[in-house]
Amino acid sequence: MNFINTAVNICKFQTFYIYIRNFTELNSEFRVKKRKSILLGGLLAGLALVLTSCLFESDENGVDSWLSDHGMPSSYKVQVVNVEGIKVSSVEAFLDTTAKAADSRAVFGAYSNLRHDMVLDFGFSPASSFYKNFTDSDSAGAFLQLFWDRGLYTSKEYPKDSLPISEDVNVTFSWKLDNLSNKKALDSLIEISDANWRKSLEWEDVASADTTISISVSAKDTSIRLPFPSALVDSLKLINKGAIHLQLRLSAPEAKHVFRFLGDNTYYPPLLTVYSDSSDIYADTSKFVAPTPFRMAGVAKSLEDCSECAVLHGGVYDSLVVELPPEPILKALSDFYGDEFPYTEGNGNDVRQSVLFAQLAMARDDSKGNNELGLPIQVVVGSFVDSANTTVRRMENYRIDNATILEKGHQNLVFHDGDSLTFQLTYGLKDFVNKASDGRGVRFIMRLGYPFLQEMDTTYATHLTKDGDTSYVFLSHFDYARYDFSSSLEQPVSLKLWLASKRGDEE
Amino acid sequence: MRKLISALCVLSSLSFGSMIGMEALGEEQVMGGTASAAGRGFAGNAKTGDAEGLSVVNPARLAFDTKVVFNLNFLLEMDAASNHGSNYIANNISMPSFNLSFPMGDFGAMGVSLWQHYASSMDEEYENEKASQTAQIVYQGSVYEIVPSYAIRLPFFRSMSLGGSAHFVMGNTSRSLKLDGNTDDLDEGDVWGAGEYTLTDYVEGTWEIKDHPAYYTMALQYRGRMVSYFFSFTTGYTLSNDLEYDFRFSEMDTLANNVYTREIDIPAMLATGINYRLNKRHNIMLDLQWRAWDKDVENLGGSWNMAKVTETQSDFMMSLGYQCDGSPLFYDPYWKRINYRVGAWYKNWYVKDVFEAGGSIGGGFPLGRKGTTLDVALQGGMRFADVDSEWDETFFAIRIGLTGIGNWGQSRR
Repeated sequence: MNFINTAVNICKFQTFYIYIRNFTELNSEFRVKKRKSILLGGLLAGLALVLTSCLFESDENGVDSWLSDHGMPSSYKVQVVNVEGIKVSSVEAFLDTTAKAADSRAVFGAYSNLRHDMVLDFGFSPASSFYKNFTDSDSAGAFLQLFWDRGLYTSKEYPKDSLPISEDVNVTFSWKLDNLSNKKALDSLIEISDANWRKSLEWEDVASADTTISISVSAKDTSIRLPFPSALVDSLKLINKGAIHLQLRLSAPEAKHVFRFLGDNTYYPPLLTVYSDSSDIYADTSKFVAPTPFRMAGVAKSLEDCSECAVLHGGVYDSLVVELPPEPILKALSDFYGDEFPYTEGNGNDVRQSVLFAQLAMARDDSKGNNELGLPIQVVVGSFVDSANTTVRRMENYRIDNATILEKGHQNLVFHDGDSLTFQLTYGLKDFVNKASDGRGVRFIMRLGYPFLQEMDTTYATHLTKDGDTSYVFLSHFDYARYDFSSSLEQPVSLKLWLASKRGDEE
Repeated sequence: MRKLISALCVLSSLSFGSMIGMEALGEEQVMGGTASAAGRGFAGNAKTGDAEGLSVVNPARLAFDTKVVFNLNFLLEMDAASNHGSNYIANNISMPSFNLSFPMGDFGAMGVSLWQHYASSMDEEYENEKASQTAQIVYQGSVYEIVPSYAIRLPFFRSMSLGGSAHFVMGNTSRSLKLDGNTDDLDEGDVWGAGEYTLTDYVEGTWEIKDHPAYYTMALQYRGRMVSYFFSFTTGYTLSNDLEYDFRFSEMDTLANNVYTREIDIPAMLATGINYRLNKRHNIMLDLQWRAWDKDVENLGGSWNMAKVTETQSDFMMSLGYQCDGSPLFYDPYWKRINYRVGAWYKNWYVKDVFEAGGSIGGGFPLGRKGTTLDVALQGGMRFADVDSEWDETFFAIRIGLTGIGNWGQSRR
């Protein structure tokens, strides 16, 4: 220690000497003689410092004991505060019915009180020879070929006993059909952006026809054909020149399943076949056209009776916005620390402590939900927090609790053993305790995430097992599930906070 | 010049040494900390001459100067704090002031000083109970003052002068306490939730005077053939320290700051001094200054087990010095041209129950014919603290002042 101090002194002195020298060089008045005297003075000073640092000795824990005499800590203490019996102050359900792109995955059908429609946008320009054959033919027709999402149906996580699915489904075809003058007009369709097109899918008073189709899917199937109703074929036959713009919507509100297909931006996009000769469809290129859609969308429509119920659906971005009242949390903190909460000194932001981690636990009753695949589903949460003077929604991190996961599995799952749901709200509680002086509560959102595959696995990441297999955390397909949190949120919830505090030891 | 300025910036970012009163204002650098005043024990504010330069305590003295003086001061200080057999040593380099004064004949004299009035500085890493973890404490605080001064000799009473200065205060302060977590209080099953964060208890803020642009010093100086004396009064003022408190995970991941202003009432200061010329070049001088603190100083950070306030006491300083002026004739032997100085002082700190006694020797070494001088002062002494929280300190300091003296604006006679 002594030696180090001496070395430090010498270094500091040398730096200082360089500045002196620079200073003297700048002053043309100085002569060599004066430099000598500066050097002499500097040497004296350095020597004196070296000597004095030898006289004093800083002992090993001198700093530590100086700091502890001044009441300074050497670490921050982590403490846990439990807040029981918090009655949720408000729950708002936001049902997501915005149209979504269906480029890779497309569905139609109905499940869990949601109807899923598929909308396809076709634009094609048949040759005049086709028009001639098509309009004159009595056996003309059209069908839509959809390719099953085999990634899911053949996946080992897909419940084996669910297949084959066989159902007679009443499918409603609705359509908008335009005859465009030429190919140029067809090209101009692309100028309507996909997002704007999806916003225009609330159709009213359009042509439609119902048809009952027997849909069956087994692990071996690759596609199904949906024959066009005759009214649509007749409409097509009225067009005999130029280009065709067909927007087609498939809905099956009475179906018992959601049928999953590949979207337009895959190797197997939906294929529309319009043919003039049913006996030999693909015999001659002048007798059929087979365009694929240039864009697709999925539109969900709620069939729920109660729009205010705390219901979440899987596969769409439904969310519940839940708010906890500030009082019980502040009271628990006040009881624990013996200080006043909320803090009102200065601008009222409380920095006396910081939330390191927070968990919220609520009751869970899986009988209030239904799912397709039989897998647990992760509940995803995010908190509303301040950021740069505005409120943003920040999705919460997930910290692994090894001991509990090995014993009981991940605790943020529904359709899972146990009767409670626990998730982590660290960002939300950190923000709340920091800014509680403005009277805010704790606001967070809940959503249904992906089906969970590794209930008891603590890695929480896709990894290779010892056998060389890939172990996935999630199934990368949504479950079109439904979960009613109403009764869970009517019961009191509890919070557990891990806090670091700047407070000293109690006297 | 650029080299010089960058050197000054580097030096002034380092600060001086005492560890007493770090949470309050820090160590006070009296009388601008000039090497020439320090050499004679901080006495000699009443001493007049043709190139004595600016005094922040006695601006009236400036009126008797006839030469332009530029003065730059450096301080190397080492403090050894000790208590119950434990020692702790800190070293520091700082630049307590630089001063420029400009006499204008019958129009009086002007001057300006940049003065680091209070400073606190510390940067230490230390081990906590677990030994595998370390904590770090960094204090960095400076109250700077820019002090423009003006002095003029009175008409008819040419042996008396009046002077005044305004002290514009600026500067900033910060404390950063970096800590690892201690989960000893947690149940075993809860440890996982604590994470392994290094948190920083951070506070920073800026200094200004509340409700006024500056505080002021007025002084009256008398210069006699043998005896000179002065009397000065410095107004009281309230220092306002706008602070932002935080408890942060990183510089990017912080809580919303608590913004709070601490106010420190600094009392008015009375100062007086006398200089007695024994013989042609021998001077004995005695200076006194006194401030009656009646309010405690609210501490910078507080929290943990640290005190919320620093208690104060009347601060008082008495200094006694001697100076043998060197010959102004450049053809005299070099040793005759040196100013020789010696002095001692006793000081009550503004921090309650802290007293300081020190002594110094110094010299002013002329460089060249035109009056450039290198002032060197060696100082040593003790600070005694009768409170548990503060330690006794032994200090040793070297002060170096570069003084350039010019005849700008002066006509030859």
